[in-house]
Amino acid sequence: MAMTKSHRRRVTTVVRYVVLSVWALIAFFPIYWIISTSFKLDTQWFAWPPYYFPSPPTLANYMNVWFGAEEYAQTQYAISSQKPLISLYNSTVIAVTSTFLSVLFGSMIAYGVSRYRILSEARMFQLLMLRMIPPIVVVAPLSLYYTAIGLIDTRFGLILVYFLTTLPYAVWMTKSFIDEVPLEVEQAAEILGASRWRTVFEIVLPLVCSGLVATFLFILILTWSEYLLALIITKTQVTTLPIELSKYQGSTEGRVYGRQAALAVGITVPLMIVGLIIRKHLARGFSFGMVRR
Amino acid sequence: MTVAALSAAEAPPSTPTRVVSRRRAIRRFRLSLLAPLIALFAFVLMPVLLLQLYFSVHQWTVYLGSWWDADYVGLDLFKEVLTDPRFGWAVLRSLAFATGSTFGCFVFGFLLAYLMRKPFRGQALYYIIFILPMLTVPVVVAYTAEMMLYQSGPLNDLITRLSGIEFKPSWLANPDLALMTVGLLEIWNWTPFSFIIMLAGLTAIPKEPIEAAEILGASKWRIFWEVQVPLLRPVILLALVLRFLEAMAEFPKTWALFQGGPGSATETLPVYIFMTTWQYFEISKGAAMSYIVMLLMIVIVLFAIQLLRQEKRSLDKMYEQTDDKKVEA
Repeated sequence: MAMTKSHRRRVTTVVRYVVLSVWALIAFFPIYWIISTSFKLDTQWFAWPPYYFPSPPTLANYMNVWFGAEEYAQTQYAISSQKPLISLYNSTVIAVTSTFLSVLFGSMIAYGVSRYRILSEARMFQLLMLRMIPPIVVVAPLSLYYTAIGLIDTRFGLILVYFLTTLPYAVWMTKSFIDEVPLEVEQAAEILGASRWRTVFEIVLPLVCSGLVATFLFILILTWSEYLLALIITKTQVTTLPIELSKYQGSTEGRVYGRQAALAVGITVPLMIVGLIIRKHLARGFSFGMVRR
Repeated sequence: MTVAALSAAEAPPSTPTRVVSRRRAIRRFRLSLLAPLIALFAFVLMPVLLLQLYFSVHQWTVYLGSWWDADYVGLDLFKEVLTDPRFGWAVLRSLAFATGSTFGCFVFGFLLAYLMRKPFRGQALYYIIFILPMLTVPVVVAYTAEMMLYQSGPLNDLITRLSGIEFKPSWLANPDLALMTVGLLEIWNWTPFSFIIMLAGLTAIPKEPIEAAEILGASKWRIFWEVQVPLLRPVILLALVLRFLEAMAEFPKTWALFQGGPGSATETLPVYIFMTTWQYFEISKGAAMSYIVMLLMIVIVLFAIQLLRQEKRSLDKMYEQTDDKKVEA
């Protein structure tokens, strides 16, 4: 009896490792592929049979795409502009600013909801509609409205939309952290004569600091990788990295996989670092208070 | 119980004027917390929605001069959209895509979460690898797919080598496969989402009911279906609903990879609206289409929100009870 039980346990362990490892391969292979392609010479991008390892590995794609270094480009695939660096700057400014606004005002709203019920439970759920309605249904009027008020093709215009569309996540996620702060702290502050605003900014928000950082990074993931709104609102003056990457698609020179891969790796790596830092908080961000930890 | 109510009750007896001014101060404070949200609604969301309504009843394309004196056409545009077979196909494609990918994400996410619900050696590493696909930019996913899925590309080559059978579907060029290709990409991309939520749900459910069922001699199968699944219902619902809504809105991968083609095989709702508005420049038709889709989505979302609210309430009640028990013990 004991033998069969331990035997069965060993079988389930093996099955578990096999299933998990197969999925790990499926999950990781495309990521491996784009990383390895970014180190390949242009003759290996599209070769048959495919090169599973870059041999020899080269930095030419990175040097060419990110720094416009033409001496590293062996062929006609040279990209000589500094555009990706400018897009990197735009992406950083837009993502960081909109995320900051979203978390700042989101946490204030969340504080109000948690302590003063400024939004009813029904309103809190209605807030989610901002996120759940597909953005495609408003981009055309948004673009015309932005043209009319001069915000089209500006960083501020994109910041404003991202601020609006990520606010529901910011409110819900920061609220789940603020709810955990005991009321006694605020009562003590009030008795000691702190104003309401001081209580929020100098007592409650510092107490949930790590939660705010987690929320910030979580929303940064969303704003960093956004595509549709950026595609519509930015035209020529301001481009973000995902839009810059999509410009390499269907270019007349044909397939420039290595260059695309070098750009893609540069876009994705910051996102992965951020995501892995907050991996413990991801469930909270996505689940709107439905999952407790 | 709010701070205001609590401290008002505990505050030393004060004159009515002080109470009134305090109440006024609280109202002002509440309003100023809400101010940014109200401003965003008034200056961004409302004008956009009004413009969209305007365009859906006025015939205007970019070739027709200034948009503010376009012809009023009443509900003609809605009629045009609703009788457009392409629109109908787009609705069907979107629904099929969203249902299929949601189901796929859920099945794989649940399976992985179930296998990882108890700690084991290497768990942290698997967790990190499993969430990586979610942390890629959608456009990057599309281009990676293009680099891997062409007919003599690495994926087909790898499968041929491993299985020894010639495996050569053309994922990108075959109209019968294209929508499924995007669906598989969506599953690859977002299974981590279902996985994370289901894992959090599985580790959060109380152990007592399961142990009780084990003591009563229930089989693993029965424990799974009759104890764990009912306890997980809110989380399951959340994973399904959110994924479905996001999949209905999926645009970057579909567009970057296919632009609606081959033929019209991947012309989902977002793609069709995008093409109508930005390639055919039929702004008004696009607006009417958007309006219909928005109404459809609002109905779905309200239904989903109702479900989620109910589940959240029952969940809160359950946790309150277990918290009470912990306090008593």
